[in-house]
Amino acid sequence: MSVVQIKEQLTSLERVGLALQRKETDRIPVTPLFCGASHRVLGITYDKWSTDAELATKSLLASQEIIGFDAFVTLVDLSVEAADFGQEIIYPKNSTAYPNFDNQFITNAKEYSKIKHVDPRKGKRMKSVIDICAGLAKAKGKEVAILGFLYGPLGVLSQIRGHKELFKDLIRHPQEVLQAIEIITDVLVEYAKAQIEAGAHSVCIDPLYSSPTILSKKQWETFEGPYIERIANAIREAGGIVTVHNCGNGVYFEEVIKWANPVAISVAYPAYGCKTWEEHAEKWGKKVVTIGYSHPANTGLVLTREEILDDCRSQIELFRSKEAGFILSTGCEFPPNGNLLSAVAMVDAGKLYGVNWK
Amino acid sequence: MPVNKEELFKKLSDAVVDMNEEETVSLANQIIAEKVDAYEAVEKGLSNGMDRAGKLFEEEEYFIPELLLCSDAMYAGLEVLKGHIKVAEEGEKRKVVIGVVEGDTHDIGKNLVKIMLETSGFDVFDLGRDIAPAAFVEKAKEVGADIIALATLMTTTMEGMASVVQLLQQQNIKDKYKVIIGGGPISQGFADKIGADGYAVNAADAVRLSRRLLGIAG
Repeated sequence: MSVVQIKEQLTSLERVGLALQRKETDRIPVTPLFCGASHRVLGITYDKWSTDAELATKSLLASQEIIGFDAFVTLVDLSVEAADFGQEIIYPKNSTAYPNFDNQFITNAKEYSKIKHVDPRKGKRMKSVIDICAGLAKAKGKEVAILGFLYGPLGVLSQIRGHKELFKDLIRHPQEVLQAIEIITDVLVEYAKAQIEAGAHSVCIDPLYSSPTILSKKQWETFEGPYIERIANAIREAGGIVTVHNCGNGVYFEEVIKWANPVAISVAYPAYGCKTWEEHAEKWGKKVVTIGYSHPANTGLVLTREEILDDCRSQIELFRSKEAGFILSTGCEFPPNGNLLSAVAMVDAGKLYGVNWK
Repeated sequence: MPVNKEELFKKLSDAVVDMNEEETVSLANQIIAEKVDAYEAVEKGLSNGMDRAGKLFEEEEYFIPELLLCSDAMYAGLEVLKGHIKVAEEGEKRKVVIGVVEGDTHDIGKNLVKIMLETSGFDVFDLGRDIAPAAFVEKAKEVGADIIALATLMTTTMEGMASVVQLLQQQNIKDKYKVIIGGGPISQGFADKIGADGYAVNAADAVRLSRRLLGIAG
């Protein structure tokens, strides 16, 4: 599919591995967060893709074959974990699954005690993601990087309680919230370990509320930071690499690194305190690898191939000029309804402009 | 002893900023009992408090949890006062029809925009979430809206925004309304592509954009 045909010197896995260590590679790794969009490659409906691990695995494999991205990301949707805790989920035929916000599992502060330990290896949806990791590892685990995925404990709870009510409970009922977070974290620790055991090379944690668009640093450090630390440690102990994703504006890099110590952070906007990507690359480029930062909707739905190539080139050049760790990607999931050729254009940009990447 | 109106308004405003729903209701009841003008109380008390909360949010003193609790306090006070506002005093407000587009149920951003628009003097008709394109157009026609504000957090539902613009164009009424859009995946580029009149990056920006599009000072 790729228009740019070059003989690759490294496998995708080797390329991603070196880039994460900020060592020289044959070219910059490129991984548009191509997840839900893969259902269209196999020609199945979104609801089937979201609920059938075998079909999802086949879709992701076919997508990688066609597009040539360097890493799988096993983000199915942000309601996977919530479903196994008892939240009702709606599976639209042609869109991302989401919780039924009119039927939240927790409807008042007293009900936080309804959160009980579940086994992710035996649950429905988390088991499905573990199976996807296993399927991808079996088929391509020695060639292509596999990034598992989990939603942070506060994010999971927001899907179960409803975002608005949870945010208010952080102030009105902090102890009840923390009790639930404690249990969710225990489950996510097991979930992370299971993904690594299934063959994922890394697990990407999504602490979505670690930016000023939602919470203060203090709030995030109270309700998620220490819990993320436990999950991150479990990933490392299981032999995996810790990565983080947060598409919020101005991610608290300092605090996220303090608690999760990831090798890479996937973002859509410059880190907190950085007004520009230049500033971001200068400040953080030697401490942690940035994965980003093409605008997903613009890339998938608005820009032409030439515009995408141009946009990616400027990102690559900027990070190269600062000798900053970088993997080219979209800042959030590639639009499930986006133009597949736009993802190909991103990979082509890496081949054209990111050769001999360090 | 005559009641000190300004002091009451200040207390009402403070109660909103302090996220104190109980105090807001108590003060609103006192305002009614003392026969203080309810409209003035909304403007100088509740709206002022929400305005201050919005500023604290922009200054990163307050975050979403605080802002949500401030708005709860404001709405609790408004519930007490609204039945006592004389219609003539409200004046002619500019109208906004707002909602989350079809297929999407994420509405925190939309709710924040609604709150900020209301406290800035707009009359907001909230259709809620998961709203079909035709429903926006029909409501705008029904209430004589100035602005149609569309929100979505998902890329898969962005096209619903384009459908609203297309419907307005098909009915030759696009010029009657300003269409503004916002939400996580939205960009100015997308707004330009679908022919929307503007894109707002957050709730405060949505107020600025609405005022600018309607030529309102402030």
